Amino acid sequence: MAVRVTQGAFDPQREIAAFTAGRDDAGALVSFVGYCRAVTGGATVQELRIDHYPGFTEKEIARLAEQVSRRFECPDFLVVHRVGTIHPGEAIVLVAALSTHRANTFDMVRVLMDYLKTDAPLWKKETGPQGTRWIEPRPEDHARRMEAEKG
Amino acid sequence: MVRLIFLGKFGDVAPADLAEVSLPGDVRTLHDLQHWLARQQPLLGEAMAAAPTRLILNQCVAHDLSSPVADGDEVAFLPPMSGG
Repeated sequence: MAVRVTQGAFDPQREIAAFTAGRDDAGALVSFVGYCRAVTGGATVQELRIDHYPGFTEKEIARLAEQVSRRFECPDFLVVHRVGTIHPGEAIVLVAALSTHRANTFDMVRVLMDYLKTDAPLWKKETGPQGTRWIEPRPEDHARRMEAEKG
Repeated sequence: MVRLIFLGKFGDVAPADLAEVSLPGDVRTLHDLQHWLARQQPLLGEAMAAAPTRLILNQCVAHDLSSPVADGDEVAFLPPMSGG
């Protein structure tokens, strides 16, 4: 397992290649990459800033990931999350998991992303021509998180 | 001195001189601290009242606001999170 919070841009394909290198024991790889969009809700996004709480953010993401990993018996996972200033087209988050079969690998990635949306100590601020605004989880994010908790 | 960290939108309304504060004698707990801050900085108080706020004491989630705060502690104030 690995969790990394990074100020610099990362290449999801390169991360996945390193994560899976030499793993001929795994039958399934599932990955999700979240990107910064140029337009959201009809508004242009020039940049996104993600604040974090150094030390605590890494610890909390690792705790959430281990919790989901135990639930789906999927111990091999990778989480990379950008912080700082991000531009449209750049990757924000990568969650990848390796396992023997597909079902628990899909579940691991889907549920962990639902947890990260509402529970990871990260704060997004969008800047566009209209000004800046802090992003907060939407009701559907909380609903997905509740569903994820139930299974 | 107590180190205070304001994340996300709380950072927009918390003045820089709140990063390290000397607490008055009657501020003994996290609850006292939150109310003292709201009195000192009404905009910060309004922001914290308007959103569910989590307090982190020395990098651990504070489940009990009656936990004591003393010199050398670090307290972080977290608004709702938006990762992923």
